Amino acid sequence: MTTMQVETARRPRRAVEDRGSTSMSRKVLEKIASQVARDETDAGGTTGGFLGIGSRADFSARPEASVELAGNIASLRVTVGLPYPVPLRQATHELRERIAGRVTELTGVQVRQVDITVAWLRPRPASSGRRNLL
Amino acid sequence: MRHHAGAMNRTWLIILGIVLLAAGAASILFSSGLMAQMTGGNLAGADDPVLSDGPGVLETLPASAVLIGGIILGLLGLWWILAEVPRRRAASSYRLHEDPARGITRCDPAVLAAAVEDDASSLPGVVSSWALLRGTAESPDLALRLTLNERADVQEALRRVRSDVLPNLSRALEVPLHTAGIALEVSGRPAQLGSTVESTGTVVY
Repeated sequence: MTTMQVETARRPRRAVEDRGSTSMSRKVLEKIASQVARDETDAGGTTGGFLGIGSRADFSARPEASVELAGNIASLRVTVGLPYPVPLRQATHELRERIAGRVTELTGVQVRQVDITVAWLRPRPASSGRRNLL
Repeated sequence: MRHHAGAMNRTWLIILGIVLLAAGAASILFSSGLMAQMTGGNLAGADDPVLSDGPGVLETLPASAVLIGGIILGLLGLWWILAEVPRRRAASSYRLHEDPARGITRCDPAVLAAAVEDDASSLPGVVSSWALLRGTAESPDLALRLTLNERADVQEALRRVRSDVLPNLSRALEVPLHTAGIALEVSGRPAQLGSTVESTGTVVY
């Protein structure tokens, strides 16, 4: 019998609820939602500006997201920019499903509603402006 | 591009015209004595002088009635003047998806209008453009004003608007446009497209 086995045998496993708890800030959900929207969909956000004045549309920015929590249920509100022309109903439906699915998957919080406001529409740039290093 | 109160103006001018015509006809009848002939001289007070030493019309009415009548006429006049201000009648926020269980999708018509303007400004020969959306998300109405360069091919620009700009908008909204109005203006300023050119020069190392 090794030392490790002796120790585990001596200390019995404690119940799950006695081992501590994890609490997540609302901001975590907001950041996850906006990061999912940026990375996994066509949506973009805004960059720059001061107090919302002078900001400009940017496909590589995270869209703005806000979350309201009621227990384990969240309702989200995201303000996104989308490429033009795309079918808006279809694109926002995909965005809604994606955000709701991924936030639930990553945090365990149930997402009930995702309200989407389309803030700008831009033609998708021909290149991202970044060079691909081969 | 803007709505004017044309129909209301015509209605009220017709009503005012009829009232004034009736008053004019009545005054002619009274002054020429035809009314007295028609009624056989039975009009009450027909022989009395028009102006007498007695109290005038305004003095016989109570002051409050004159005041209220004046205020009502003033308000009607003010309302008519305000109704003359041309209105854009832009649509309020388009609701693209409305399901209380899953969430609401909103898009401001100004956002779509800005996208249409960008789209139209990229056409050859277009100096600037201005777009306005009316109606609802299910039956949108578009008003588009294009300012073209004086050397631009107007037919070509219109063809490109019909083949690119309008289909792009109906593709974004996923419904055909209910109406689309295009106004053209001509300007001496250079077009937006054509301010840069791809270089085809030879690079010498």
